[in-house]
Amino acid sequence: MESSKIMTAKEAVSKFIKDGMTVFVGGFFHAISYTITHEIIRQNKRNLTICQSSFNEHADQMIGAGCIDRIISSYVWMEVFGPLYCFRRAMEKSIPHKIEMEDYSNFAMTVRFLAGALGIPYLPLNSLKGSDMMTHSQWMGENKVKLIEDPFGSGISHAVVPALKPEIGYFHAQRADEEGNVQMWGILGDAPWSVRACDKVIVSVEEIVSREVIGRDPNRTILPAYKVAAVVKEPFGAHPKNTQGYYNVDRDFIFDYIKMSKKEETWKEFMEEWVYSVSDRTEYMNKYIKKFGFRKFMDLKAENMQSGSVSYGY
Amino acid sequence: MSERGYDFTLQELMAVAASREIHDKEKVIVGTGLPLLGSMLAMRTHAPNMIAIYESGTIEAKPSITPFSVADSCLVPGAAMQGGLVEGLGIVHAGELDVGFLGGAQVDKFGNLNAHVIGDYYNPTVRFAGSGGSNDIGCGCKRTIVMMLHQKRRFVENVDFLTTPGYLTGGDAREKMGYPGNGPAVVVSTLGILRFHPVTKEMYLESYHPGVTVKMIIENTSWNLKINDDVKETEHPTVEEIRILREELDPTGIFLNKQ
Repeated sequence: MESSKIMTAKEAVSKFIKDGMTVFVGGFFHAISYTITHEIIRQNKRNLTICQSSFNEHADQMIGAGCIDRIISSYVWMEVFGPLYCFRRAMEKSIPHKIEMEDYSNFAMTVRFLAGALGIPYLPLNSLKGSDMMTHSQWMGENKVKLIEDPFGSGISHAVVPALKPEIGYFHAQRADEEGNVQMWGILGDAPWSVRACDKVIVSVEEIVSREVIGRDPNRTILPAYKVAAVVKEPFGAHPKNTQGYYNVDRDFIFDYIKMSKKEETWKEFMEEWVYSVSDRTEYMNKYIKKFGFRKFMDLKAENMQSGSVSYGY
Repeated sequence: MSERGYDFTLQELMAVAASREIHDKEKVIVGTGLPLLGSMLAMRTHAPNMIAIYESGTIEAKPSITPFSVADSCLVPGAAMQGGLVEGLGIVHAGELDVGFLGGAQVDKFGNLNAHVIGDYYNPTVRFAGSGGSNDIGCGCKRTIVMMLHQKRRFVENVDFLTTPGYLTGGDAREKMGYPGNGPAVVVSTLGILRFHPVTKEMYLESYHPGVTVKMIIENTSWNLKINDDVKETEHPTVEEIRILREELDPTGIFLNKQ
């Protein structure tokens, strides 16, 4: 098909992610594109600014690998699983180098993407004001956030945050067609607004479906093809995270990562095993099955819980 | 039997105390860990019509197993609505939710929380996760329940970084800011239960947990903590509450055995 945007993760990262870019990294705990993240690390991208409402271990791996200079986010941690040690080492001890973070709240980040997607320069919100996030900035200075009085006379002042429009973004979803009409369900996180705020988007998907399948349920499309630069078919592309309807979170794997990342040496061992020594996702999953067994792999697979269908007839 | 000579652990007591703060039919934004167990316990006891909302966009979650994360796949099937942050955290921001849970590395006497750093923001001794949804929940929910490890270095005169506003400098300082929500209602600590004076908004001790003394709590608080005149022991969990926690909500002990 002439308009096909299907390519490998290697090709997509090489073609669209350049050193020094501001990159949106999609996925809110659910549906994080580890396949693209690992490719960024393998291709040794440098001086990236990454943005996302909340980050997990995927950010930690890129930080430890030295790809990241700046983070725009509200959170870098892994909930009850534990802290992210590369992030802490970089923030506390400048290992492997100093990184900076512009701290917002989760909803403030979402609002920044919303403004970006809607093409307006800023939006007000009820949060942030009164906190030290208003007065502390790493590099944005006065342009991080401002307090303005309600022009409609309520007498209340609000924090206003600037639109965030990343040059490139990547995320993981259930399915897309060859042109890049993306359908996603389950926990959307800051999508669809974050991905719509990006100039261009790389999407990794569990399955490629026909344009006809997309058209049968267009309400489920969260991003239209014209925003999408590359479609990467990558089953299990979000492992160790979950993708609704396909596979569950691999808790043991995440706990193991956090344990291994406590010390730089063991973190390097983990990265060598799961990132640097594998050339692509297929090799990664084969390695996983070989190490943990097919049974464990099958245990991650989601149960089939079909939704009912609706009629779009007219 | 726990090491303290009671038929429940401190963590179980805290989950039960949190559950008792929730009223039936309330809309609650549920986090992970103890707040999650507290909320699920409330739904199985006195608040069966509580509406569980997750910041990740799940409205009226009815998970058949205990979720491990705010983005656990088990939250989605059976929910009344599933969206993203605009839907989940957006309604918190709009002031539509009754209860939210908060935590942090430090809290001060007006309930202001720090989830960013220990030490200087630009050169931190310890860097934590950051706000996540904490600031939005603290600004937006009608009331919040703070859950904290009670230690002197955590209950501080001034937080190193103000992530989430409690009552700011006390009195009517918060009211003047015009947030949709009204601020923290209670602090459930590992040593006791603390509330806020209706006028001064200063935190005071309401009850001490079994096996804990008022003296211990004073010693583990950096400021001169006010003690309620009729300070008493925290009400014990019932046998049934403990049974639900252990057998139904956390059968593998993944949340409650981690000390």
